[in-house]
Amino acid sequence: MKNQLRALREAHRITQGQLADLLDISRQSVNAIETGKYDPSLPVAFSLARVFGCQIEDIFAPDLAAPDPAGHADSLPQPR
Amino acid sequence: MTSKLDSSAGDELRKREYNKEFAPTMIAYGLSSWAAAAWGNLDGDSPTRFLWAALPLIPAVALVVVYVRHHRRLDNYQRLLQFKGLAMGFGVAMFASVVFGWMAMAGLEIPGSHWYVFAAGMVAWSLGIWWAGRR
Repeated sequence: MKNQLRALREAHRITQGQLADLLDISRQSVNAIETGKYDPSLPVAFSLARVFGCQIEDIFAPDLAAPDPAGHADSLPQPR
Repeated sequence: MTSKLDSSAGDELRKREYNKEFAPTMIAYGLSSWAAAAWGNLDGDSPTRFLWAALPLIPAVALVVVYVRHHRRLDNYQRLLQFKGLAMGFGVAMFASVVFGWMAMAGLEIPGSHWYVFAAGMVAWSLGIWWAGRR
């Protein structure tokens, strides 16, 4: 998963520690998300979107260069 | 402004709460260990030596409780690191136990080898957390 978290945080001029407090997570976790070491849980992703006033998709995007871990990238057929 | 080294108020609070619980419990463990070694006559043959030997186990259990409480205060990422570290510590301790067990069966009894198992597990736990955080 790629993300724009660092750019967004720097644009809002807040530190990792301040963002961590806003999200009620550790600064270590903010750093891990920014560096791509860790993909956050859905609640944290929603909190990030709320903090920055945007959609989750504006922060996170699938890394299309990475192999699909499940091995079946095709989407399901649409229900009738 | 964007330093990686800045800390959060939540981090500081969690650290303070952990230290507040861990420090006195560790001191209690040290004192009870010292008392058991000094007055317990652990090498003797009095039945009370077993009670003395069990004395440090009380704060040792409290240390486990302190760790579990600390673990509950962590967020998902920190818990993940802890679990990876614990997994590595468990694996190394199990392996060390099997190694010492087979060596003993072959006649190479190493005095105090159970303490080496403990030390190996603790070191691997710490290294495991460090390693997981770098990946």
